[in-house]
Amino acid sequence: MTTLSRRRFLKTSAQASGGLIVAIHLPGCAFGGALPIDVADDGFVPNAFLQITQHNEIIFYCPSDEMGQGIRTGLATVIGEELDVHPASMTVVSAGSHEDYNNPEYAMQLTGGSNAVRAFYLPLRQIGADTRALILQAAAQDLGIPTSQLTTRNATVIAGDRHYPYGDFLVTASSLPLPENTTLKNSRDFQFIGQEITRVDAREKATGEAIFGIDIDVPDQVAAVVVRPPVAGATVTSFDPTAALASSGVLQVVEISSGIAVVADSYWQASRAAKRLQVTWNNPALSTVSSDSMRADLTAALYDGDDAVTDDTGDIDSALTSGAPPPQVIMHSAEYFAPLLAHAPMEPVNATLRLRNGEADLWTGVQAIGAAQGLIERITGYPRENIRVHNQYLGGGFGRRASLAHIIEVTEIALAVNKPVQLVWSREDDIRHGLYRPASLMQLSAAVDDTGRISGWRAKRAGGNLTPDYMRNSLPALMPNLPEFVLDGLTAATDYWLSRWSIDGSSVEGLHETYDLPTRQISHVTVDHGLPLTFWRSVGHSYTGFAVESMMDELAEAADIDPVVFRLKQLESKPRMYEVVAKAGELLTAMSVPEGHFLGFAAHSSFATDVAQIAEVSVTDNLIKVHRVTCVVNCGTAVNPDIIRAQLEGSVMFALTATLHGKIDLAEGAIVQSNFHDYPILRMDEAPDVDVFIMPSDEKPTGIGEPGVPPLAPAVANAVYRACGQRLRELPLRLA
Amino acid sequence: MIAFTLNGQQVEFAGDPETPLLWVVRDTFKLKGSKFGCGAGLCGACTMHLNGKAIKTCVLPVTVAAGKTVTTIEGLAGDHGLHPLQTAWITHNVPQCGYCQSGQIMAAAALLEETPTPSSVDIDRALSGNICRCGCYPRIKAAVLAASNSEAGAGDDEPALFYDATGQGGQA
Repeated sequence: MTTLSRRRFLKTSAQASGGLIVAIHLPGCAFGGALPIDVADDGFVPNAFLQITQHNEIIFYCPSDEMGQGIRTGLATVIGEELDVHPASMTVVSAGSHEDYNNPEYAMQLTGGSNAVRAFYLPLRQIGADTRALILQAAAQDLGIPTSQLTTRNATVIAGDRHYPYGDFLVTASSLPLPENTTLKNSRDFQFIGQEITRVDAREKATGEAIFGIDIDVPDQVAAVVVRPPVAGATVTSFDPTAALASSGVLQVVEISSGIAVVADSYWQASRAAKRLQVTWNNPALSTVSSDSMRADLTAALYDGDDAVTDDTGDIDSALTSGAPPPQVIMHSAEYFAPLLAHAPMEPVNATLRLRNGEADLWTGVQAIGAAQGLIERITGYPRENIRVHNQYLGGGFGRRASLAHIIEVTEIALAVNKPVQLVWSREDDIRHGLYRPASLMQLSAAVDDTGRISGWRAKRAGGNLTPDYMRNSLPALMPNLPEFVLDGLTAATDYWLSRWSIDGSSVEGLHETYDLPTRQISHVTVDHGLPLTFWRSVGHSYTGFAVESMMDELAEAADIDPVVFRLKQLESKPRMYEVVAKAGELLTAMSVPEGHFLGFAAHSSFATDVAQIAEVSVTDNLIKVHRVTCVVNCGTAVNPDIIRAQLEGSVMFALTATLHGKIDLAEGAIVQSNFHDYPILRMDEAPDVDVFIMPSDEKPTGIGEPGVPPLAPAVANAVYRACGQRLRELPLRLA
Repeated sequence: MIAFTLNGQQVEFAGDPETPLLWVVRDTFKLKGSKFGCGAGLCGACTMHLNGKAIKTCVLPVTVAAGKTVTTIEGLAGDHGLHPLQTAWITHNVPQCGYCQSGQIMAAAALLEETPTPSSVDIDRALSGNICRCGCYPRIKAAVLAASNSEAGAGDDEPALFYDATGQGGQA
């Protein structure tokens, strides 16, 4: 264990919250060249996002990865609004790797941080509007009618009582320049934005026809399973492949950088043989760490470590001095803990790679396809333009599929096996060898004055940082041609910078943004155990939301103020969240609950979206049951209210798993849990009803995939306190 | 040689008889709608019907299917179009990532065969073996109720709160 920090004060304030804060702007990252689009014989490609055929098929190349969040529907709605094409009339496909598809906020192809609708909202509307203007110009020329007398509706140009498909005008359109800066629609003229359009992927996902990475089946494909070290970071000291090679269907046993790969005719044969492999590993530093020692390290760091201060406004020491003169009336301090967590998407990570004649085709489902392409370039040395990434539907992401260890593995295996290879991680591999939501210990201290306002707020967090692992994993992919020693230097510099001179914004996000806190101090102690860490749905907010919103109820009680009223007092300069909390308070006041049920409240801002939740909970025989969760959300313009509702429903379930069950343990550095029997996921019989109230808004849309997660755990914990008087400050919630 | 009926077709499997039915269906017969989620019978993504009963197939040796009838998601829709559950799944916008949905629908279809008008508790009991990590449970339940003859299905699946496009917001 290393505690790499000493107390120092930085002039800069913490980076804005929002998860994937590491936009890497480096030369040579983006891949230009020809668009990765198969143009039909009669197809017209006015820009990277659209192809229109003479049969009037409108193909939309969706730049963000569909992992359930409904982004294909959302972005098809946005571009279709201005193009005048109903999303259901489009063929929506996953875009290939090309800089034209870069997420405008990240300057790379990355789906995460709940930003896709926000970041693409105006660019895709502009492309839709410009393309529609082009079609209109071509139609005017072909029909000899001025554009002022033409209009459009659902992929047809209308001239009087005549309707012409867009596809009729492609020859002329292809000879004209694409207009720019076409005026966008006024929101009151929206026809699709704001409507509850059926998901474009609903049908194929109800018929089993939707193709995920694991469903790819290319001719002559073989299957691979990798045996990895029980402790992350260990390397092979020796292995005996004899028994595995004797197992039926086994073709090859190959040592790769992460472990030993067993290649067989089928996955089941490979996985059976992998269990017969004898491997010995060395013992990295992590092998001395257990859950208990990790917790003790966090405690030591929180109370004795040198913390770095990221936000220091006002005289916090005076504000929190015990016995300070009035108007301070309440002082309170509490410690909160959240454990390591795994993502456990339903589809285990997998990848299928075919290397043939200096060309590579990768079929997978990842949140960062450009980086996947870069990794293959780095390992094979193939030119970038010869590497194609065919991204499929993702069977769940939650942050897990922004990491690409499996792409490195499949590339190394494919180089050793002269056939297309499909690598599949088992569920055990997924739980034990992934990257984790970091464990976090937080201490919050606050004073409340005689007006009920928070007059001092100190929040300190001890735990690991995500960004070093993200940089370690991303730099080789983003800069495939940089030599290893330069990469090593860059990643070491990042580690050093974040642990000594700066603060990883995602480690402390959520500790100080939601409320007015005029006198505040946010600080951090980095504790790095060497376990790989990564983004997990709502990232830092997933633990800070629990601490802050539990604390808010504790302070309200100490100050003898209603918890909703208390929060409103801290929101006087945040009108949007004020309205969300006020609306939720109104709903709460009107609720009547059965005998033995109790309501808990929480609110949290993340990813530019404001969410409040009310949990209706009962506690019987030490069993916490959540019956209903009511959500109020302001996420700006509601592009598709039904998908927003679905994301909040899903966020409640995802967060409730973490609230009631979620915990990854370490024993001698190895992950203890392995499958759904010991890493349980919420099931139907535990699922609460969810109601969602969407605040009307004309503002630009903001995130929705993650912001529903942070308030849930504290809303439940606050309800449990009301139900039985136990203030639970650790996740998962365990009654004494 | 193991012979069984797969979605109405007579098929034979000549490989290792210990191979789980899931992998025979996916790898040999190339039907990819049934999914691998845990390999331990814990998550239900691999759910098929064996002689009409829902069963997890990721740990079920293919020998168990000998002489029996296997139906997968690909065989659920009839000659007259989608199964009512599939239609309800679409109209309720049930799927998110979609990976578990074949298994959910197969488990629900077996339930409706036995219990055409299930209660909420019946649905909990029948579907609690199927994990949805995206948390589509409320919609799954609403879609099953809508597809069933249950009276609870009528009107019971509307959310209590709704988005009001008039800009006022509101309560149903």
